[in-house]
Amino acid sequence: MPLCKLVMVLALAAGGLHPGAATAQTQDQPQSQDETVWLENLSPITRQNWNADHAAHLLSRAGFGGTPQDASKLAKLSPKRAVRQLSRGQRSAPTLADFTHSGVFNPGLDPFPSSRPATTNLAKAEGQALGIQVKPSGNRPMQPVVNEFFYWLRASRLETDRVAYWWANRMLHTSAPLQEKTALFWHGHFATNEDKVRDYRKMLQQLNILQNHGLGSFRELLVKVAQDPAMLTFLDAGVNVKDSPNENFAREVMELFTLGVGSYGENDVREAARAFTGWNFQALNFQINQADHDTGSKTLLGKTGNFDGVEVLDLILEQPAAAEFIAGKLYRYFVREELSPTFQVELGQRLQALDYRIGDFLELLLTSKDFYAPLSQGSRIKGPVELVISTYKKMGLTDVPGTPDFNLVTGGLGQRLLHPPTVAGWSHGRSWITPSLLFERGNFVLDLVFPDISFVPPDRYPSYGSEIVNVHKRLRSGLDISNATKPSGTSGEMAASNMLADADEAFNTRYGSYRGWQMAIERVLPIPRHTARLQLTKQVLDAKLTSPEQVISYWVERYFLVAPSAQTQAQLATALEQALGTADIQAAQSYLEEPLRNLLHLLLSLPEYQLG
Amino acid sequence: MKSRRSLLKAGATTSTALALTPLSLSSTARAYANTSSTMTKKRSVTSNPILVVVELSGGNDGLNTVVPHSDPAYYQHRPTIGIPRNALHSLDEQYGFNKGALGLKRLWDTGDLAVIHGCGYDNPSYSHFSSAAYWHTATPNSGNEYGWLGRLADSLQPTPTPNMLMGIGTAQTLAIKSQVHSPVVFDDPLRFQRNMLSEQRQMLAQLQPSAATSKTHDFMNDVADSAQQASQLVRQAWSQYQPQVDYGVAPMDLPKVAACIAAGLPTQIYHVAFRNNAFDTHVQQPALHQRLLSYACDGLHGFIRELEAMGEAHRVVVLVHSEFGRRVGENANGGTDHGSANLMFLAGQPVTGGHYGTAPDLTKLRADDNLQHTVDFRQVYATAIDAWLAGSQVTGLSNQVLGSRFTRLPIFDTKPNRIAT
Repeated sequence: MPLCKLVMVLALAAGGLHPGAATAQTQDQPQSQDETVWLENLSPITRQNWNADHAAHLLSRAGFGGTPQDASKLAKLSPKRAVRQLSRGQRSAPTLADFTHSGVFNPGLDPFPSSRPATTNLAKAEGQALGIQVKPSGNRPMQPVVNEFFYWLRASRLETDRVAYWWANRMLHTSAPLQEKTALFWHGHFATNEDKVRDYRKMLQQLNILQNHGLGSFRELLVKVAQDPAMLTFLDAGVNVKDSPNENFAREVMELFTLGVGSYGENDVREAARAFTGWNFQALNFQINQADHDTGSKTLLGKTGNFDGVEVLDLILEQPAAAEFIAGKLYRYFVREELSPTFQVELGQRLQALDYRIGDFLELLLTSKDFYAPLSQGSRIKGPVELVISTYKKMGLTDVPGTPDFNLVTGGLGQRLLHPPTVAGWSHGRSWITPSLLFERGNFVLDLVFPDISFVPPDRYPSYGSEIVNVHKRLRSGLDISNATKPSGTSGEMAASNMLADADEAFNTRYGSYRGWQMAIERVLPIPRHTARLQLTKQVLDAKLTSPEQVISYWVERYFLVAPSAQTQAQLATALEQALGTADIQAAQSYLEEPLRNLLHLLLSLPEYQLG
Repeated sequence: MKSRRSLLKAGATTSTALALTPLSLSSTARAYANTSSTMTKKRSVTSNPILVVVELSGGNDGLNTVVPHSDPAYYQHRPTIGIPRNALHSLDEQYGFNKGALGLKRLWDTGDLAVIHGCGYDNPSYSHFSSAAYWHTATPNSGNEYGWLGRLADSLQPTPTPNMLMGIGTAQTLAIKSQVHSPVVFDDPLRFQRNMLSEQRQMLAQLQPSAATSKTHDFMNDVADSAQQASQLVRQAWSQYQPQVDYGVAPMDLPKVAACIAAGLPTQIYHVAFRNNAFDTHVQQPALHQRLLSYACDGLHGFIRELEAMGEAHRVVVLVHSEFGRRVGENANGGTDHGSANLMFLAGQPVTGGHYGTAPDLTKLRADDNLQHTVDFRQVYATAIDAWLAGSQVTGLSNQVLGSRFTRLPIFDTKPNRIAT
């Protein structure tokens, strides 16, 4: 029996609830011949085998999910055209808005010193720093410089939060979601973090590279990222000079960006570092400082020559290990966590044969029988950004709500955009779920369906009880700066970090941090704080649902790829009926909204909803 | 190999000091219902020894933490970032602590700090992620599906025991991955709860779980169990906790550990970290490193003093490590690149303070300009396992956990083990 029919028969047997239910049921069965044939089979799924369930699976992996209507529209196209639509978008779709800058940057801020001590040392030596003069006399002559230092730290961070919001909205609006999904993949692959880069402009510029070139040639992408100021800052490459090569950049290029551990040696790292010497940037532009570049002969990966940085990247990409590493990582992200070593070698060969064209390689994966094999479906744990955006899409929202805060929610779930934890990016898979994070996923839905009226955006207004608010209150009550910035009381020995904070007479660090915060929130545009404005009643009535059972199965179909058990669904339907006081949905329509929201929260808190 | 789930069922009757929800209730439903009424607040009667592992991620520069000021080679390798003797907290004729490490100095002065020199392993990896995995699994240049702390917990308690291991962070570290136990992992204790209206709670309590459809699904159910067993305890512990000491500016997550110990949780193994490769000081190291050390060492010192104030210091030992040390010679950017051998610390009242191991010779570096290790880091693990956690209960526990025999260091030998087991 062809697989599609097997799936359909099982779906019918499961009460026609949902394809995911069928998928799930096949998994513990002995593998059918069909499945064995489909697994790790890269030949394309035929048009005859292609259906709306497959399209829903494709939407969830190649994008951020969608409604059943989106899936059935997609199912009318051929598998190949469907993938192309997701990667190229629709001509009729409205143009996506560019990021709107708040205007927080001051020319004196570039180059930004590496730390507060570096800033005040510079001010001491030169009489000014960050474009701010040291006062000729009087109290705390360097205070304005320190204020400006903290202003930029805070302003750049807040503006980066706005960039993340802009990106989230783009994920929701785009008609080419594969571009954004792939950009998200590359953001975890070429991970840089605003906490170290400290310049939202560089973060935005890098994001634009990932968005615009993520589906093009990997070679071009690699070169662009390797020469991107955000990456150069993040990996300290900007200070890599010939007399003392800095290995950090060369190491991460090989270990994390191209080859993976085991496919290069320490000597390769050192030699590559020499080739990258002199790579630097001026403001937002890449440049090579020839005087710092090591023009000597280098030997790496079995070749010798006077290689420059780009030639080293090309040398790396010639290695089959590089193609296998990239192909395998893309596969794990878009298809399935487990793949056999021989299959990974085959994927590497395919990628190399496609000359590292990522879009073409993804088209191969996303139209393959392997991608639609039951084991590939509903087997991934959705990443936090994916969970949040796909929930909004499935709910039919037209923009990302400001309450709950997108960055706090995704950050709380372990994936704050533009703040990946380390250069290795996010770990994906099971690492997304801890006991606490499982609760947080449900709490996100609660905050969505019943807005948290106690919410104050703590990125902008520090939370009550934090030390900076204590400083604020003490200053307003008339205490001088020295006394207002003393840490709030604990007895016993004072910690070194607290003693060091105000050791200099020329400025007060804590006051600078406080004043910088005030200056930043004046300049950075606020994130709109509207709530989700759900209309669950309208959805239910428009769909002409008449019974609680229909409501539950409608939602299961709309939201789930792996369905909760029939028993769970029946219990939820009973609970809805009890809450409504009737089994007649139409009769209860005037007070339907709140019970529906309760139910949706329960439903989307189930473990099955985390699978995609 | 048995799955954790089947082990859970087999060991479901293991009694603990904590009242759990009725076993007839499905695990998932329990987790989701978070039935607070059956969780009784009860001070644990346990007095088991506790091990807290602190990971300074990114590779702390040991040479600039405990500085060998009597060694001219140190200053030759580090002409600009080498710290002069008069800028150190003096320790003895050979060594001094970085100014930021005042917390260590204070612990040293009260005899609560063991400094173990030269810790590392053969064929060192200079990758943060590979080397960290070697330390997490105690299998250099190899691997293990489970972490060394996870395996340690499995050996101490072969049946699933709620709240046996705890990791604080946004993700679970490999170090605590266990075959038997579901580790408790959280970041913000106050957010470690399922927010829910009472009608919803009742409804969820009645739900039967869906049978797991895949390994991933099964995994989720395990996590749900652990969540249920820990969340209320952790939140209560945190909300009742009032710090007595100055922990400094960023004490990692040690106050949360103190809160759990104060509340009498049965957890024997905790893992916290200075996160996100913070100690990866390639550029402009001195000011940054001093600041990082001040945060970490203030936290460590505050934690030990807090335990003393709580009367729990006799049963807690802290082990501090990084995935590697740093290159001996400074680079051109006032920083240091990835290195090999490094310091480890054991801290706490049960520890006999002093120097252990042998400092690597700065004039006899490896071919790659790195330190040659003199102590296998697993010797320190074995010492913590056999001489501390196992007490007199089990002999040769470290063999079982680490897979072979490692010579212990005499760090606990001169203080009597104060825990009656």
